[in-house]
Amino acid sequence: MKKIIPLIFLFTLILTVSANAQIDRSRPPEPGPPPVIHIGEYETFTTDNGIRVIVVENRTVPVVSFQITLDIDRILEKDAKGYVSMAGELMRTGTSNRTKQQIDEETDFLGATINTHSRGMFGSSLTRHAESLLDLMSDILLNPTFPQQELERSLRQSKSALSTVRTDASSMVNNVSSVLVYGSDHPYGEITTEETLENITIEKCREYYETYFKPNVAYMVVVGDMDVETAEELIDRFFSGWEPGEVPSHKYETPQPPDGRRVAFANRSGAVQSVISVTYPIQLTPGHPDAISTSVMNSILGGGVFSGRLMQNLREDKGYTYGARSSISTDPLAARFNARTEVRNSVTDSAVTEILYEMERLRNEPVDDETMDLIKNFMTGSFARSLESPQTVANFALNIERYDLPDDYYTTYLERLNNVSVSDVQKMARRYLLPDNAYIVVGGNRNEVAETLEKFSISGDVEFFDPFGNRLVDTGQAVPEGLEATDVIDKYIDAVGGRRNLEKIEDITIEMEASMQGMSIQTVTHQKAPNKYYSSMSMSGNILQEQIFDGEKGVIKMPQGEMNLDDEMIKQMKLQFTMNIELYYEEMGFELELDGIEAINGVSAYKINITGPGNIKRTDHFDVETGFRVQTTVTEQSPMGEITQITTYSDYRTVNGLKFPFRMMQQAGPQSIDMEVTNIKINQGLSDELFSPE
Amino acid sequence: MRKLLILKILICLAGHTLLQAQATRIDFVEYTLDNGLHVILHKDNSTPVVAVTMMYHVGSKNENPERTGFAHFFEHLMFEGTKHIERGEFDRYVEGAGGTLNAYTSFDLTYYFELLPSNQLELGLWLESERLLHAKVDSVGIATQKDVVIEEMKQTRDNQPYGRLLAETLSRAYTKHPYRWDVLGKEEHIRYAEDHEFSEFHSMFYVPENAVLTIAGDIEIEETRKLVAKYFADIPRGRHEIYRPEPVEPVRTAEVRDTVYDNIQLPLVLQAYHIPAQGSDDYYAVDMLAALLSRGESSRLHRSLVDEQQIAMMVQAMPLGLEHPGLAIIYAMPNIGTDPETLEAAINKELEKVRNELISEFEMQKVINQTENSFVNSNRTIASRANNLATYHTIFKDANRINTELSKYMEVTRDDIQRVANRYFREDNRVVLYFLPEPEN
Repeated sequence: MKKIIPLIFLFTLILTVSANAQIDRSRPPEPGPPPVIHIGEYETFTTDNGIRVIVVENRTVPVVSFQITLDIDRILEKDAKGYVSMAGELMRTGTSNRTKQQIDEETDFLGATINTHSRGMFGSSLTRHAESLLDLMSDILLNPTFPQQELERSLRQSKSALSTVRTDASSMVNNVSSVLVYGSDHPYGEITTEETLENITIEKCREYYETYFKPNVAYMVVVGDMDVETAEELIDRFFSGWEPGEVPSHKYETPQPPDGRRVAFANRSGAVQSVISVTYPIQLTPGHPDAISTSVMNSILGGGVFSGRLMQNLREDKGYTYGARSSISTDPLAARFNARTEVRNSVTDSAVTEILYEMERLRNEPVDDETMDLIKNFMTGSFARSLESPQTVANFALNIERYDLPDDYYTTYLERLNNVSVSDVQKMARRYLLPDNAYIVVGGNRNEVAETLEKFSISGDVEFFDPFGNRLVDTGQAVPEGLEATDVIDKYIDAVGGRRNLEKIEDITIEMEASMQGMSIQTVTHQKAPNKYYSSMSMSGNILQEQIFDGEKGVIKMPQGEMNLDDEMIKQMKLQFTMNIELYYEEMGFELELDGIEAINGVSAYKINITGPGNIKRTDHFDVETGFRVQTTVTEQSPMGEITQITTYSDYRTVNGLKFPFRMMQQAGPQSIDMEVTNIKINQGLSDELFSPE
Repeated sequence: MRKLLILKILICLAGHTLLQAQATRIDFVEYTLDNGLHVILHKDNSTPVVAVTMMYHVGSKNENPERTGFAHFFEHLMFEGTKHIERGEFDRYVEGAGGTLNAYTSFDLTYYFELLPSNQLELGLWLESERLLHAKVDSVGIATQKDVVIEEMKQTRDNQPYGRLLAETLSRAYTKHPYRWDVLGKEEHIRYAEDHEFSEFHSMFYVPENAVLTIAGDIEIEETRKLVAKYFADIPRGRHEIYRPEPVEPVRTAEVRDTVYDNIQLPLVLQAYHIPAQGSDDYYAVDMLAALLSRGESSRLHRSLVDEQQIAMMVQAMPLGLEHPGLAIIYAMPNIGTDPETLEAAINKELEKVRNELISEFEMQKVINQTENSFVNSNRTIASRANNLATYHTIFKDANRINTELSKYMEVTRDDIQRVANRYFREDNRVVLYFLPEPEN
């Protein structure tokens, strides 16, 4: 079956034509008559094993690309979220005929590009290498082996990448929004976490591939310097061995906007800016009759142009932000409205007010003609420019096939864009802008911002979430009457073994295995009462850094040289390395302040601000239930501005009757180190020589 | 995050090499107006879009050593408006007409472009003629852009891990030539510059005889000629002799080696070798040698340092092809636990191999294929063709290089690769820099 669909129509700009002879530089010239737009042609056919092929022939340059897209339902990944994209990534790392090295070598030799992902693959090369390219692509598509060591390498990278979420308000807002808008039992609402990564196995990846990579659900889009006959012959030669099979389908509940406005907050300690998202689900499938007029409406509110109302209001008028935008997607499964900006803490609530105001205004007031013209011109121009790439034509064709759109959907696009009226825009605003049924999701400084947002919530409450979109237990919890900071510290001391037992520690050795950016580091620390300290960090047997302190003087040794400590540092270290300093807060002149209860990684924790001699300032959090320390936050000035270092403690285990956290995660800016204790030894009688800086 | 940083380095080093040509011929018309403005017209009616572009032959190398960063500063200033275009209106005219716009500055040139629906060709000509004739070099615009540009210096260079890589390399590689400072220049030079200095810079360099107007896309040649004359013919020539530095730089006789401490987490090792100017015979072989070393995951340095020995996180080799003799830069970041010396020794070993052994036929063919592929892809859009035509004219006074460049690469032999490896990739012809994390405090 072949069909040829010619796509031609008039480029209708809303502009008048006039000729002028004498040059007048004081005004912009009138545009010429609207040019004719030719969208380009495509052909389709279906192979014997069911691949639906779309060919867009374009001879501008001797290059051809092949894109395979699987038309399959999204699947729920549950406690192994992330395995589907992992399966796609691993396809390219080995086949039954080729190692990763061989795949790299052959791809480079062709000067080609090959990518794989969970819903298909892409390859491109000069036309004369097309056969070799397809040979490689078909081997990758049909015979992947999913090597275990490649999974491990990739997991290490994913974990490093994921660790930055805890300090990135923007990722937090993405996670919380996804969970709220789609629900956590919807494929778009699932969040990848360290725990779900742990559950990814080669078997799961392989099973995904074996179930879903079938020709009868595949589109193959051929774009460039190749005619349909050649494409047909080559696809038959390289992909006829791809066995069809039944592919399961999945249905999901359609997400609904909330009954009344809700406010969700994710805390990013020390943030000076808030990330704001006003968002909710909508139903707008590709090709929906409202799609074009809604897209005009959204462009007026906060679309691509600089002149969007959110940008004008929040940036140009109020100076709250560098940028503010909105988007309305179309999606076959679940679409979404999202208005987003980043503003400084003090204007967070004002910014929300202005976003809601602009949504209301578009619902209530007709748009002026000048704005309509500017937006339509911009959208017409973007459409026309996009047509320079044959890939655009291919995408149009693919959309027509996949979403069952009318054949003239894109040829009549500009005509329909031009026909969108002022009253259409208002109608769409009333239908799709729901300021009263939105989630207001904010990531930022809880202490400074959260309370100011209560007024937007229909219930009057702000709901709190962790960085991965898990709802936090009620943290509106008040500190019990009469409880003081010293009580919290005493409870901690009791929880980890009691004052008498802690005082008996003469020396202690802790060995840890740390991973940073996917690389593994070994650390050993020795500590001896009252404040002697030694630590070393090494990687594959090479020492990266040693720190030695005998209570009076010390040194830091690194491969690039030694650093002696100045008086200020020595003063700090005397305190820092004091064995179990919590026992001596009072006599050493520390000041403690109990600053409420906060949720830390899903548990309620007392927040204690600690100020000590020599400018020591830090915040510790202690689990309300168990008394254990769960987090330490230290903020320091550096040449790059303020750096906040957060250490979280978990997995407390018993050693010699005392409790120690066996897992620590340390985060400073984009860097994060994940540490696991492998061994703790107490009172071995460490000699003083170990701590001698000489 | 780390990935982002590497990308950043690539971008700032990639600069504006001329890796462009095409298998199929690109036709164009060119002529010069009486006032010296060169015009290139390339007709391609396949999409109703036109690129209107102006390239000025002024880059950071034309700057006064006491006033670095001026060329780039102008790129910003030129969006501030003109006699007839209010502040902030420049963008609105273009976007309201359905178009898009941008600009960039390099060591050798400054480029402005608008991409418009083809019936808005005249709007583009009006905007660019206003920029040339009536640019607003006034105190409000200068004050605003001083803040913006100084902020840009901080964000993209001074406070960016590895952001000073190029600046630190250039200042050691060159002693006389104005390539010794980077395009962004010195903060205080911009901060303390007085308004009249900017006006003087404009009247020297922003003149028709120092520019090429390139129009590509859905146009008719004769009609476009008339429109060009209408907007540009009466713009007067400049009144000053244009300052162009000589390509003077003393020949190197000894290696320069240094250490730079920066606010970074992992060290970086960099070597920069002096190479001939872009477009000279040896340049093509140097460029292909760089591809052999680091293009693709199967390239020599990547395979050896990253995959096999696993001592590097990443490694990259690339020529900085410039109008005057430039640099070939090789840089690598070690995995934790590898010291910079080990990494540099491994790079040197691979270079030694290229110097001593002829590369295989297979590898030569691979590099030829990669080069051809990237060429062909670099002229796909009318925007890229306009940019390439303008650059070939500005640097070589030969826009037709867009059609002849690829054959220059195809003439390179395996012997040439070995010869340029021995001629340029020598110890006494290089700068070696270790970027190390600042010791604490």
